[in-house]
Amino acid sequence: MATSNTDQAFKISVSESQIHELKVKLDLIRFPDELEDAGWAYGSPLKDVQRLVAYWKSGYSWREHEKHINDTLPQFTKDISVDGFGTLNIHFVHQKSSVQNAIPLLFVHGWPGSFLEVTKILPLLTAASKQYPSFHVVALSLPGYGFSEAPKQKGFGLFQYAEVCNKLMIELGYTEYVAQGGDWGYYITRALGHKFSKNCRAVHSNMPRGSPPKFIHNPVLFLQHALVPYSEAEKAGFARSAWFLGPGFGYRQQQSTQPQTLGYSLSDSPAGLLAWIYEKLRNWTDDYRWTDDEILTWVSIYWFSRAGPAATTRIYYEVETAKERDIITKPINNIPLGFSYFPRELVVTPRSWARTLGNVVFESTHASGGHFAAHEKPTILVDDIRQMFGKGGPANHVIPHKSGFDHGLKAKL
Amino acid sequence: MTSTSPVSYKLAIPENDLQALKSKLAATRFPDELEGVQWDYGVPLADMKRLVRYWQDGYDWRRHETHINETFPQFTIDIEVDGFGVLNIHHVHQRSKNEHAIPLLFSHGWPGHFMEAAKIIPLLTNPPSGAPAFHVVAWSLPGFGFSDAPKKPGFNMAKMAEAGHKLMLALGYSEYVVQGGDWGSSISRQVARLYGGKHCKAVHVNMLSMAPIQPSKNPLLWLQHISTPFSEEEKRMVARTNMFRDKGLGYFHEQSSQPQTLSYGLADSPVGLLAWVYEKLHNWTDNYPFTDDEILDWISVYWFSKAGPGASLRIYYENLRTNPLENGRHEPIYSVPIGFSIFPQELVYVSKANRLLVGNLVYESSHSAGGHFAAFERPEDLVGDLREFHGIGGKAYGVVKGLTGYADD
Repeated sequence: MATSNTDQAFKISVSESQIHELKVKLDLIRFPDELEDAGWAYGSPLKDVQRLVAYWKSGYSWREHEKHINDTLPQFTKDISVDGFGTLNIHFVHQKSSVQNAIPLLFVHGWPGSFLEVTKILPLLTAASKQYPSFHVVALSLPGYGFSEAPKQKGFGLFQYAEVCNKLMIELGYTEYVAQGGDWGYYITRALGHKFSKNCRAVHSNMPRGSPPKFIHNPVLFLQHALVPYSEAEKAGFARSAWFLGPGFGYRQQQSTQPQTLGYSLSDSPAGLLAWIYEKLRNWTDDYRWTDDEILTWVSIYWFSRAGPAATTRIYYEVETAKERDIITKPINNIPLGFSYFPRELVVTPRSWARTLGNVVFESTHASGGHFAAHEKPTILVDDIRQMFGKGGPANHVIPHKSGFDHGLKAKL
Repeated sequence: MTSTSPVSYKLAIPENDLQALKSKLAATRFPDELEGVQWDYGVPLADMKRLVRYWQDGYDWRRHETHINETFPQFTIDIEVDGFGVLNIHHVHQRSKNEHAIPLLFSHGWPGHFMEAAKIIPLLTNPPSGAPAFHVVAWSLPGFGFSDAPKKPGFNMAKMAEAGHKLMLALGYSEYVVQGGDWGSSISRQVARLYGGKHCKAVHVNMLSMAPIQPSKNPLLWLQHISTPFSEEEKRMVARTNMFRDKGLGYFHEQSSQPQTLSYGLADSPVGLLAWVYEKLHNWTDNYPFTDDEILDWISVYWFSKAGPGASLRIYYENLRTNPLENGRHEPIYSVPIGFSIFPQELVYVSKANRLLVGNLVYESSHSAGGHFAAFERPEDLVGDLREFHGIGGKAYGVVKGLTGYADD
């Protein structure tokens, strides 16, 4: 493919042969056994997976969902060069607001998410209003995910993902922008804040992390942490975190150490891929009522992804090997940070811990919602973003001349 | 067919199952791979492509099936396990010509199987003169190979031990000895804990999983442990243990927590199962030069297993959801003599001080080569140790009444 500096308009168009291949495999499926009354205790239940497979075989229409995505999300591809990794063709959604001074916002997904996670928040963020700011939104498929190319060499870590994000925004004309993300989106936006704060001028995340404040680094926070008891929500959060870091951690141990070994069954078995992802869709959300269509569409993005499902797991290996989680935990003090706290996030970080992450100007705690905030609680998440960046908000006017409002409507400072 | 006496058994995978496998292999969709990574990220793509092609076009399961059937007398028998009903247990039962041979139960682990005993069975049952003989029972653990899988939660180590013990009784062996590695080691030790003294008369293992020494519980031992320097060889083994802990436990965590989720890919994808198991064959052995036939013979037992590959994963869940320190799986054993063969490429090294918590550990033997699958990789070494342990002058000599393993009792 010729490299290009211009955006190519893109429509997802999975080939007939890929659709046929999936059908052949679905017809050949061999299911495992299951213990009596196992429920969810051992993992994705057999009856759920069988039901989803049966619907995937006959009933579910990928073409229908493909068309709907293409009709709803304006998509493009662009070649982005990454130091040491050549050029990667990057797939992304780009929706401009009608508000000329809208704030450019980059939405970064994670695993097992995708660019689709922007779907519900897109119309809300780009809406024009006198009350709340509007955004131009870019939602990329991370390298190795969705319809972006995957890197071919090892070592593609958080700062490489951040480099792709930053170059994409700059090449789209957004030399200054804000970023939002959860899951890997949290880690990648941290890397953006660390390395590219000239361009990435603020970060909001729905999955804040952080460690207990240490006296030597944050004496004030340390004292606050020592003196102020944890809230009820924070205490409940510890149980959730303990589940994730204990019995919920197996996938991460595997993906961080032997992703290729796992990759064979994810690439070759639709049921294997489905069960692997479906378990997260259920366990990581707050009682979100997934429809079978939603589940199969999310899984199909992985099944039909440009680089295949195995490529999506390597980020765990790269980040673990380079210990990048530690690196990005260092505080970011020169740009505003905002956090939204959801009770069924995987690790429910106490506020005092997350404040060690730097210049935290916005915090919001909610009574419901889980890991996939943009998909589960789109209006709540967008409300938070609007508050952070809107009139009177702590990150209001973080980008000069991009207040989120039309000319003539000056933001009240 | 249910029966409380052993029923002769021959492997006979239906032709339909072989054809179904071939169809799946033909439809294999491979992942991509990073450049130049070899084994760093897991099983290399080139290995998988080669093995899948061979599995599809050249590999002959019937050859292996026939070989097992002709070489090893196999049986099935119904064993009632308290709370779990009747489980039909598949096993090899090779008696020695020597009537006074020592009855020995060989327990495999994961991802092992009953044919790990293939090389040691002829050596144990037909020794040179001067060495003791054994009658060998090599079973498929419940949930593995061609045995039934339990249908309810809770089939833990005590239940495994109960099944193994009752198997030996059902075969007419009121007194017997046990040998195992991996889960087979834990099962063997649990058999000794529950039935040691009266029925199980000795334990030999080639792997030990132990709780670390706790300074509060064993202060002197802990002091000894931290103040005794490791030899060069021990340092190498500790380094291997650390590597295993840091890079090798993904499967362990997933199988202990969400085995069902993992089982869909392993049941449905031949290459998925192949990669999952072959990675262990490669990483856990001491450069054992597996032939493609050996690899596919091994994986085929999982692919064609009675309960499917997913059932085998549950042994992790059933035994690791509760803390071994609390469920008695690390309690020392004093009722019977214990023997331990140390192979340098085993996954977990247990220090000399820590070994003092095993119990009546009266025999140790160190080797210069060999890894986790000792019976398969180093059959002569392992059998040599068993002969030393159980033979004349050995610490477990004559433990079974009237069955010393020698002809003239």
